[in-house]
Amino acid sequence: MAILKVDNLSKTFRTGLLGRKVEAVRGVSFEVPAGSVLGYLGPNGSGKTTSIKCILGLIQPTAGRIELFGGRHDDPLARARVGYMPEHPYFYDYLKPTEVLDYVGRLYGIPRDIRNKRIPMLLERLDVAHAMDRTLRGFSKGMLQRVGLAQTLMSDPDLLIYDEPLSGLDPFGRKQVRDLLLELRAEGKTIFVTSHVLSDIEHLCDSVVILQKGVAVAQGPLDELLLPDKRESAATLVLPATDDDAREGAATQLASIEGTAVVKRKDDVLVLSLPTGKVEELTATAANCGARLVELAPQRDSLEELFVRKALDTDAAATSGATDQGSAA
Amino acid sequence: MSVIKSTREQIPMRIHGIVPALSRIAAVAGNTVREAGRNRIFYGVVAIAVLMLLFSMVLSDLALVDQKARLVQDFGLFMVPIICVLTAVIMGVVLLHKEIEKKTLYAILPKPIRRGEFLLGKFFGLCALLFGELVVLAVCWSAVLALRGGEMSPILMTALGLAYIEIVLVTAIATFFSALSSPILSGIMTLGLFICGRVSYVITDLMTATKGVFVDVAFMRWLGRALVALVPDLSTFNVADELLLGWTIPTDYVLSAAGYGLSYAAVFVIAGLLVFERRDLT
Repeated sequence: MAILKVDNLSKTFRTGLLGRKVEAVRGVSFEVPAGSVLGYLGPNGSGKTTSIKCILGLIQPTAGRIELFGGRHDDPLARARVGYMPEHPYFYDYLKPTEVLDYVGRLYGIPRDIRNKRIPMLLERLDVAHAMDRTLRGFSKGMLQRVGLAQTLMSDPDLLIYDEPLSGLDPFGRKQVRDLLLELRAEGKTIFVTSHVLSDIEHLCDSVVILQKGVAVAQGPLDELLLPDKRESAATLVLPATDDDAREGAATQLASIEGTAVVKRKDDVLVLSLPTGKVEELTATAANCGARLVELAPQRDSLEELFVRKALDTDAAATSGATDQGSAA
Repeated sequence: MSVIKSTREQIPMRIHGIVPALSRIAAVAGNTVREAGRNRIFYGVVAIAVLMLLFSMVLSDLALVDQKARLVQDFGLFMVPIICVLTAVIMGVVLLHKEIEKKTLYAILPKPIRRGEFLLGKFFGLCALLFGELVVLAVCWSAVLALRGGEMSPILMTALGLAYIEIVLVTAIATFFSALSSPILSGIMTLGLFICGRVSYVITDLMTATKGVFVDVAFMRWLGRALVALVPDLSTFNVADELLLGWTIPTDYVLSAAGYGLSYAAVFVIAGLLVFERRDLT
């Protein structure tokens, strides 16, 4: 069952003196099942943060329905089971990390004795314990991010919503945050995360929603989205090292299998792309000509490739739509 | 529709009911006080007010011997409430704007706290802070008075009590405008209402005169009536004339003035809550 369910969400802002309409999010629908990690991706201005603000009740959707834990998304009981960290986790910079967590704990109605136990534990876990007596004013971006993450865990929530948790961090900080997210995932938390660092998201998410100009242009389980053609496999072979003629002969024989394409050739290493149905023929041919198959993997896009492809597809569709309209006129 | 239950052992949380709501309001109020307590500008304002009170001692040297305490008393009675009102305006109009601008609100409101509770917490926190400021200035004032042979009489304490009601009312007005618009506009509107409130009795007098613009011009008559009806009469909380004449202030008057001021404050706070509940926090 879905912990978070968004159905046909739309948000239109009115800007300027004339009240010009800006459609920030248009008809987005998705579900986040319990215990899964959903990546909510899109370029700047694609509507990611607007969607999160709608989910958390910071802004009212123009249309659509949002359910948290099977009930109303603005129910305080539902929100008590959500931990949220905004894109720029600004907290009261005159507070110390312990005071931030205590304040947050009080808002959750957590009894004092439990707050007193959890605060040092969370600061230790997030590696901020050494700075617990300093105010946030002097904290680096990475340290603030960690305090931001700690406050989301104060009530040990079931759903974590992180808006760009890796943004602005150095490689070490990114690794720490990524490791924490993996730990939380292993603990069975449901995570809704937005990020520009797609390579990090790729290893973390079960499914993604890709937004472009407020519209979900691709969504689904990551494994399905990243396998645009499930019939394709990549084979890496080591060619026979006996003599040049044997090597070239083997390369020609292997490349002549129907549907096969040479991806890369360097000395005695040959990488081929071939239909998955031809794997047996490839194995037999390799054995005949003395080549050795060292790796066979299904071909898949990287998340970045998928992201760019979807962005380009949308732009192309928009351009073609505009051209069609122009021709019609 | 079934609601998903967490399978893990839950951390006990108290969300529903009056006591948890009050606890959340107290948490926000406490944080508001703490924010000001670590704000140098606030201490700067208090320091300037203390220096001005000390300056009244110097001024009193220019007065006749039997008028020295009187001068310090009148000066303090004018200045202490005004400084607190100005603090209320300055801090009140940025009450929400600062939270939105610094994006601290985005981390707080998604927690199980209602917007109304947050705004009430900010309001009560500011009221508590202004009470502290009033007490500090009153202590300094009474010290200066004592040095000039005067004393903090019960009637002066009553005057300060009424001044605090006025401060709470101005804080409520600032809170309302803070929920509605930008700090500059809120500041102008709050100060405008404060000035109108302080002079509304003059408009009443002008409207009951036999002639004048508030009697002869229809639009001004309408404007005068609207101002008197809508704007709280802040002269209710100013008992300087009674003090000057040596009159006592009846308890009935104090209670009715407090009821009047707090009722107006409640109206402004409730209006602020209604506006803030519907506001998109973009």
